[in-house]
Amino acid sequence: MLVLRRRAGEALLIGDNIEIEFLELSGQAVKIGIKAPRHVSILRKELQITKAQNQAAAQTVELAQVTKSLPNIRC
Amino acid sequence: MTQLQTKYFGTVSCEQSELFEFPLGLPAFEQEKTFAPLDLPGTGPLLFLQSTTRADLCFLCFPILVVDPHYQLSISPEDLNVLDLDSGRQPRIGNEVLVLALLSIQQDHPATANLMAPVVVNPRNRRAVQAIRCDATYSHQHAIPGVAEVQPC
Repeated sequence: MLVLRRRAGEALLIGDNIEIEFLELSGQAVKIGIKAPRHVSILRKELQITKAQNQAAAQTVELAQVTKSLPNIRC
Repeated sequence: MTQLQTKYFGTVSCEQSELFEFPLGLPAFEQEKTFAPLDLPGTGPLLFLQSTTRADLCFLCFPILVVDPHYQLSISPEDLNVLDLDSGRQPRIGNEVLVLALLSIQQDHPATANLMAPVVVNPRNRRAVQAIRCDATYSHQHAIPGVAEVQPC
């Protein structure tokens, strides 16, 4: 992973047409602005993780498996 | 009373007033806005969240304090607004909000609970949201000890 140090107000370019500006730093949080073409999808990583995890959680399970996997549960 | 086609229990009847309403759906299931919480005698704290429109969609979940008795909420002001709760402070688990951890159960793997994105329900208006945390305090795959790992008392 490329690691860079930037100050508030500075920016990065990725390729020819994506710009990331570091707008504000406060405590644990950083506020960034992103300029990118419309077709580039920008997702919070935790949203992508949640989608994948929800799809896994929606898989069919045998109720017998529930009993096996979870203590004290009898289906 | 409405009749509901369910994934695991055939047709069941439930009260309209018992349903949870997810105005935003759930990530990956944005079209599913209404779920019925179903429990079975003998399954302890286990709760089945059954979609009212898709019979094949049902999540298994635990009240979050069953998985982690010390769980600390961190719900964004936007999600608190969806629930119609005070966005200036975190609600109390239990008396102000019902908080559920969605479970993943697969053969030959320990069951896991998603503590990173719990389902939070305001029991007063039955509105619900999957509140994704922005911090890295909790895992989306928190292992739940299986029967084999539970030490006898």
